[in-house]
Amino acid sequence: MSNERVTLADALSNVEILDERPLPDEQPLIEASTCSITFHANFDTNFEDRNGFVTGIAKYIEEATTHANLNILLDEGQKHAVMLYTWRCCSRAIPQPKSNEQPNRVEIYEKTVEVLAPEVNKLLNFMYFQKKAIEVFSVEIKRLCHAEKRKDFVSEAYLLTLGKFINMFAVLDELKNMKSSVKNDYSTYRRAAQFLKVMSDSHTLQESQNLSMFLATQNKIRDTVKDTLEKIPGFEDLICEVVNICVHMFEQKMYLTPEEKHMLVKVCGFGLFLMDSEMCNINKLDTKKKLRLDRIDRIFKNLEVVPLFGDMQINPFNYVRKSKHFDASKWPLSTSQAISPQADIMVHLPNIREEHVKYISELAKYSNEVTTTYTYKENHSDSENRAVTDLALRGLQLLSEWTSVVTELYSWKLLHPTDHHQNKECPSEAEEYERATRYNYSSDEKYALIEVIAMIKGLQVLMSRMETVLCDSIRRHIYSDLQDFVQIALREPLRKAIKNKKDLIRSIIMSVRETSADWARGCEPPDDPANKGKKDPDNGFQIKVPRLNVGPSSTQLYMVRTMLESLIADKSGGKRTLRKDIDGPCLSQIDQFHKSSFYWTYLMNFGETLQKCCDLSQLWYREFYLEMTMGRRVKKCTVRHQHNEECNDLITMEKRIQFPIEMSMPWILTDHILRTKEPSMMEYVLYPLDLYNDSALYALTIFRKQFLYDEVEAEVNLCFDQFIFKLSEQIFAHYKQLAGSIFLDKRFRVECEVLGFNFQSYPKNNRYSTLLKQRHVQLLGRSIDLNKLISQRINADMQKSLELAICRFEASDITGVVELEALLQVNRLCHKLLIKEGLALDDYECMLNEANHNVLAPYGRITLHVFDELNYDFLSNYCFNAATNRFVRSKLQISGQPVQREKPPQMFHYFLWGSKQLNAAYSTQYGQFTGFVGIPHFRAICRLLGYQGIAVIMDIILKDIVKPLVQGNLLQFTKTLMNAMPKVCKLPRCDYGSPGVLEYYQAHLIDIVQYPDAKTEFFQLFREIGNSILFCLLIEQCLSQEEVCDLLHAAPFQNILPRPHCKEGEKPEAKQKRLEQKFASLQIVPNIEKLGTAKQALIAREGDLLTRERLCCGLSIFEVILQKFKTYLDDNVWIGPPPANGVMHIDECSEFHRLWSALQFVYCIPVASTEYTIEELFGEGLHWAGCAIIVIMNQQRRFEALDFCYHILRVQRVDGKDGTVKGINLKRMVDRIRRFQVLNSQIFAILNKYIKNSEGESNVEHVRCFPPPISQHAQGRNQKIYD
Amino acid sequence: MSTDTHREAIQRQIHQDWANREYVEVIVNSIKKITAFLNSFDMSCRSRLAVLNEKLTLLERKIDHLEACINKEDSIVRP
Repeated sequence: MSNERVTLADALSNVEILDERPLPDEQPLIEASTCSITFHANFDTNFEDRNGFVTGIAKYIEEATTHANLNILLDEGQKHAVMLYTWRCCSRAIPQPKSNEQPNRVEIYEKTVEVLAPEVNKLLNFMYFQKKAIEVFSVEIKRLCHAEKRKDFVSEAYLLTLGKFINMFAVLDELKNMKSSVKNDYSTYRRAAQFLKVMSDSHTLQESQNLSMFLATQNKIRDTVKDTLEKIPGFEDLICEVVNICVHMFEQKMYLTPEEKHMLVKVCGFGLFLMDSEMCNINKLDTKKKLRLDRIDRIFKNLEVVPLFGDMQINPFNYVRKSKHFDASKWPLSTSQAISPQADIMVHLPNIREEHVKYISELAKYSNEVTTTYTYKENHSDSENRAVTDLALRGLQLLSEWTSVVTELYSWKLLHPTDHHQNKECPSEAEEYERATRYNYSSDEKYALIEVIAMIKGLQVLMSRMETVLCDSIRRHIYSDLQDFVQIALREPLRKAIKNKKDLIRSIIMSVRETSADWARGCEPPDDPANKGKKDPDNGFQIKVPRLNVGPSSTQLYMVRTMLESLIADKSGGKRTLRKDIDGPCLSQIDQFHKSSFYWTYLMNFGETLQKCCDLSQLWYREFYLEMTMGRRVKKCTVRHQHNEECNDLITMEKRIQFPIEMSMPWILTDHILRTKEPSMMEYVLYPLDLYNDSALYALTIFRKQFLYDEVEAEVNLCFDQFIFKLSEQIFAHYKQLAGSIFLDKRFRVECEVLGFNFQSYPKNNRYSTLLKQRHVQLLGRSIDLNKLISQRINADMQKSLELAICRFEASDITGVVELEALLQVNRLCHKLLIKEGLALDDYECMLNEANHNVLAPYGRITLHVFDELNYDFLSNYCFNAATNRFVRSKLQISGQPVQREKPPQMFHYFLWGSKQLNAAYSTQYGQFTGFVGIPHFRAICRLLGYQGIAVIMDIILKDIVKPLVQGNLLQFTKTLMNAMPKVCKLPRCDYGSPGVLEYYQAHLIDIVQYPDAKTEFFQLFREIGNSILFCLLIEQCLSQEEVCDLLHAAPFQNILPRPHCKEGEKPEAKQKRLEQKFASLQIVPNIEKLGTAKQALIAREGDLLTRERLCCGLSIFEVILQKFKTYLDDNVWIGPPPANGVMHIDECSEFHRLWSALQFVYCIPVASTEYTIEELFGEGLHWAGCAIIVIMNQQRRFEALDFCYHILRVQRVDGKDGTVKGINLKRMVDRIRRFQVLNSQIFAILNKYIKNSEGESNVEHVRCFPPPISQHAQGRNQKIYD
Repeated sequence: MSTDTHREAIQRQIHQDWANREYVEVIVNSIKKITAFLNSFDMSCRSRLAVLNEKLTLLERKIDHLEACINKEDSIVRP
């Protein structure tokens, strides 16, 4: 370290500067005070400095000495109480020797003694302590009740300390009674020690005997105290005074912490019990007006149950009930059946709310003033300081009051457990603690508790944040109040006392001044006329009272207050009280000062008091109930087997070490919010969790027990996991439901509601966003990033829900693609909403890729499944119909097995559409798309698969489905059937009449008609090819539409504007220019070029190019597909041998179109009404395949000219005949032919459009010229053959 | 007279005591302020670090994703 010296002023100003540093913290404040470091300075000296105040009255200095000793004993008593309360049974864990023959018996006993000896030592100390405490107490009582002293003034503080003693005895006695494990442990120790003969000498034996008697006797401490007191003559007067002071203080609210409040009540009860004996009857004391039983009665009714220690409660009235002279008529309220107001928190709630709002706004006003109007370096005026002190005190009192309401309700509930009669939800076998906590609160009570706890914790944060500011004013106020009083106000009574020669009063007042006055010049002004009993000069006597920023020391304050109290006390050593010698106004001034200075100790230890006023740690502790449960056996052996002796041993092993979290108050409250999802409570959810902080702090600082802390920690670990799990689940479900509701068609929703299908409307708005902003929640000293934890979980949920969407698709046929797309859109919306709430989720696209297994593999699950479905189901089982432009499943499965698909995994509703109702609504909606495959499906496929996916699918379809078919089965079939065709088949002349023509064809084509597999397998092959072609065609149509949409969306940003409408006389160019200028700011490329870097401009240009250049702008997929298809048709069977006449085949059946004509004849034959038609079985895919081959092979014209069926049609048109030829109805047949002719020509037209495009721009007909025929035939003439 | 000087001495002592205690109070108060500052500094840092951490985590995850994508490209090129 350097030797640099820093002056105090510099150091202080450095500290002041800290305030000016901005320390932004984005998160909204919804948790209790979060301190990583706490700093407490304790100036309580416990009267150690009493000798410094030599000018004080000796008697009170003496009293301070005893006071100090008593305080030490009280502290010790507290430690013993903690020891007893936190005692956990050791002996149960220690193995007991089963028999005297057991070889390791000695070892067991030795270990037992070794382990238990330190614990037993504590018990011994406890026994000696209580003995000593009772002795000291009785000595004090004896001293004060001495005949000489009986009339002496006893100070309020002193009486209160005696009260604390009484309280201590009551607590220790109850604890000792309750803890059976202490007795068990001791007897275990004793048995072992006796066996080992550790206690050999008579003293130890005696001691051990005493201890075991002490532990075994119920109410030992209480009875000893009572017996000892009864031997002191006149003790009841003193106890009376103690009780009266407690009543007085309780009624005047002269207490601050809830603990003190409860102590006062307990002292009343126990005090009455101590007094009531053979010699003394409290009822008589009442009639003598020494006691006011009616007032005590009211107190006991208002506070029927008070916390004794931890989760031990006591009904103070029971002390009275047990007393000797109990007279129920004196206790009308306490004996009545009416329920104590402490049991009903709802009564208090409106009042608490109002006080809270009022106080918070006052505090906020002050806080704003401090931060804006004046820096608090400047001294405030006295009145301001007084106001602030008052504000602080009121805050503390409110907090204490609210904390009392919570703890008193909790206490009452513990002592009044519910059962299955009162609460239907409570199972009859519920255990004790469960009945006292879990089932003992109604929903409203839980909300009220949460709300009050939130108010307490919230206000605590606000006040502790302002601690330094408040303390500053408090100290200044106390200083000025004290000094003004001592230096100025006390002048008047002093003057009177000197003048009237009241020496005692004079000396007391002098003492007060000497003890505490801080004179401006270091000592009292020597010329003060008051000191001489003289009047002030006419212009007054000026005393300048200094102003400092410090309060009196604890002893100093005690001395001043006690001495002043002796002045105004009703009781004094002499015959007449001193107060009769003091003037009325002075008296009331002193009285006022005495009253207001009562709170100074609390105010000067503001931080500590604040902490105590808000301490709710006891809501977690349950040592009493654990102790009770420990003793209880679990009745049944749960293992299924023949029960035997051993089971009993097993059963005893099974016992509660700790209660499950469902019975723990902090978790009950937290869980209540999570379970009900009440929006107005959601922001309070961290406050009940803060109770664990309180309990842990208590375990560490007051109980000082590691195991208790560990248990709190273990519970917190458990609860917090649950908390995060539940919270993230419901947040995800909430936003999913919201997304699902937004996405749901509005008209559909309205119509559903009209029809009475009541599905929940939009989810109730909840305040999750505040919770999601929490990045450092303090829990047991750990800082938790709530946002991060929830983000992680929701990320996983999102991923899961995307995977589920894809799994569902995989479990369905190709029609599921529409639902998949919608589901992914809802998920995208949900993702967007969650991101908006500040969750750090991964990019949606990345997540989708991952769920789609498209990150590492080139093709995703969706693409693969689409292909699978096409391959195994769609192409072979669907029938196309041009009229609807849809495919439907054929009624009969021609080939292969029905496709087996895995069932989708069962998951919660929120992984799908958000809720049960939404799932139902959407599944109805998308159920509409499952019966067919049409434009919506192809659109969805386009959007989901994208260019890459579509390219892959088409490629595989061509290479792996169409090509093998065309070059494999189809080729084989074609070859076989070609052989079955007649070599020659003419167009019979019209003269034969249509039935004749039909008969002719029927006869010629009989082999084909009767060919067994033609109508099934062969047509199936054509259908598959046709469906493939159709699929490609429709996909391209949809893709083009998508592209056009994209282009139109992008147009305004690319300076592509629709041509404006021009009125007459307007110049379109000028108008166009104006529009361009108007939208110039939208154009991406020029703007980026102008404003961005060169690199950005490059990226913008590339992006622009990618947007502009689309397939639909002049390129065609289908064209390419047809060309590829053509390459597969390389076998000669499709075209046959070259025509013998060098021009074309006419009657020969060697080209494919002839075979197709034959097949057309087959499928045009009408079927009976019971049979399926070809259209029903195969759809139009069949025709598409045939026509496509014909067109590609350039045989369309020949087909149309020479087709058998067309010929029948033509002939029938002329002769209009009907009839049945070999079972074929001619009219029906012709009708069918006509239909298929139309269909064929449509198909040809579409195909030609693509084929012609590909054959170059020249649409010129290729004309072959033939030389004139050499034959003699006169009618020979030139022929034109069209290609 | 000696009692007066004695009294005066005591009064001066008390006066001195007040001054001393005020000094202690001022120091204690300053330590309190430093504690309060450290606490709010702590909170502020935590919240800012949490935001930073979130950003880094997101970036890391994005890098992981991109790396996986690049590896895919590689695996296609090198069968």
